[in-house]
Amino acid sequence: MMTQGDKAANKHMKSDNVQAMLMIAPFLIGFILFGYVPIIYILRYAFTDFGGFGECKFTGIANFVRIIKRDPDFWQSLLNAFLLAAGKLAVEIPLALGLAVLLNRKIRGMNFFRVTLFLPSIISAVIIGLIFSLLFASHNGMINAILMNAGLIAKPINWFNTKWKAMFILGLASVWQNYGINMIFFLMALQSIPQELYDCASIDGAKGIKGFFYVIFPVIAPIFQSILLVAIVGSLKICDLVIACTNGQPGGTTEVVMTYIYKSFFGKSGRNIEVGYASAMSLVTAVFLGLVTVVYLRATKKLKEIV
Amino acid sequence: MAHIKKYLGEIPVYLVLCLFFVISFFPVFYTFMSSFKSNMDILTTGNLLIPKEFVVDNYVKAWQLADFKTYTGNSIFLAFFCVVGTVFSSTICGYVFSRAAFKGKEIIFYFMISSMFVSLGTLTLYPLLMIMKVFHLNKSLWGVVIIRVFGMNVTNLFIARGFINSVPKEIDEAAKIDGCSFAGIYYRIIFPLCKPLIATVGILSFRSAWNDYMLPMVFTMTDPRRMPLVVGIMHLKSSGDAASSWNFMLAGTAISLIPMITIYIMFNRYFISGMTSGAVKG
Repeated sequence: MMTQGDKAANKHMKSDNVQAMLMIAPFLIGFILFGYVPIIYILRYAFTDFGGFGECKFTGIANFVRIIKRDPDFWQSLLNAFLLAAGKLAVEIPLALGLAVLLNRKIRGMNFFRVTLFLPSIISAVIIGLIFSLLFASHNGMINAILMNAGLIAKPINWFNTKWKAMFILGLASVWQNYGINMIFFLMALQSIPQELYDCASIDGAKGIKGFFYVIFPVIAPIFQSILLVAIVGSLKICDLVIACTNGQPGGTTEVVMTYIYKSFFGKSGRNIEVGYASAMSLVTAVFLGLVTVVYLRATKKLKEIV
Repeated sequence: MAHIKKYLGEIPVYLVLCLFFVISFFPVFYTFMSSFKSNMDILTTGNLLIPKEFVVDNYVKAWQLADFKTYTGNSIFLAFFCVVGTVFSSTICGYVFSRAAFKGKEIIFYFMISSMFVSLGTLTLYPLLMIMKVFHLNKSLWGVVIIRVFGMNVTNLFIARGFINSVPKEIDEAAKIDGCSFAGIYYRIIFPLCKPLIATVGILSFRSAWNDYMLPMVFTMTDPRRMPLVVGIMHLKSSGDAASSWNFMLAGTAISLIPMITIYIMFNRYFISGMTSGAVKG
């Protein structure tokens, strides 16, 4: 038998639960609508020849056959995204880690450097792309002027006329944009290490780089693993920066997978609007991104197990 | 003496950090300086860092002729509603996930954070536009606001839940005894206690709304008068007379950078703690 008080409490709790559900409901609906419905949408159109308007016909796996057999540009853009990510992370991650180690010293002025080195991370990727395309402009760019004044080059370099030079600038801009945030991530990880560990390391004679890799790095390895995963996936999804900086030029050779698919969806850069085909490419890309995550987590399992 | 010696030993550290200070700062400084150059000077004397003469006219013309007045207004509109909406959405969701006791709460929470692994970025732009078309919001920034606020940013959700978890439960239990309902506790007790959380989430959402490009771009593609700043700058770049309007573009870029950098200088603590707390949860 419930007492009067229990009943009241029970009723109270029920109304609390109803209120809680009502409060969360709009966001849950929005979340499903904007997070999951688009995926269903893509799944639905990937097997059709939908062109954005009018009728659409079910075409089975025709889109996927076309991706595999007749669209080398798609694979090129996917490869570009991977190359760009690999190239820039090879610079960015060691750089960010090194700077974090320096900033972790307890000397004056570190807060100033922490704030200023983080500055690029708050700027829009589009603005960064524009600034870098201007800095490296061939006839009136600042970088060419500096290099010429220093006597390193005789005449201005056209940074955007070959694929690899343009990719180099994209990588540079992307490193500039992201090293600050990764540096702060690493710094947080380093600061979570108790001071005793540093003391122990120096007592045992483990100093400098060797000491870092034997004593400190294993402790931050699990966090390092997550930071690197976020950085890899983020780099593969690069889009705004490329659109603003090279927009795929010269001749579509610096197109990355996200810009390539976006242009198919919306018919940009002289392409036709091919929603069906773009959906199919989205699916293939999503599978690749998923694969990268899975392979990465497997390959770096060791990092998690050290501690 | 030992004190001085210690600092002498750190000189290489300071040198490296100063180098990166210059690297971080230079492109921004360069942009501001170039924004005062006349178009002639931008095209011919790009190699001069400091303009031969400072032309404030760029800003005046960009503001009036190149529509940056409208773009700035749109950016403020977008940022304002995104910030207000996100502050409410993340405190409400954080509160419910921290305090509610209904069945299935955990499942919903993990369902929401699992989206971190299926987020497809640019790939879902077209479907999002089509979804908003159903509500006739595909040609206005309201569509962007609604997607950003109700689409729930997982990072903000994490930050909010973590913060509200750290608020002692005794406080709301006391309120409950006094007859406060679940929703009442939220707006009488929890929300007022969440000031640091509101600052962090507000600043993060300001940054992403102010810098956002792809989503507002596809929602304003057909109507330049609705474009926010970043979209407007790119619109100017891709339009036919790009070469003759570099000075407007640079002035516009500076206009878009100033509020962002000012807010960053004022609240950098919240920026740095906010951007890191959500991401490194191992």
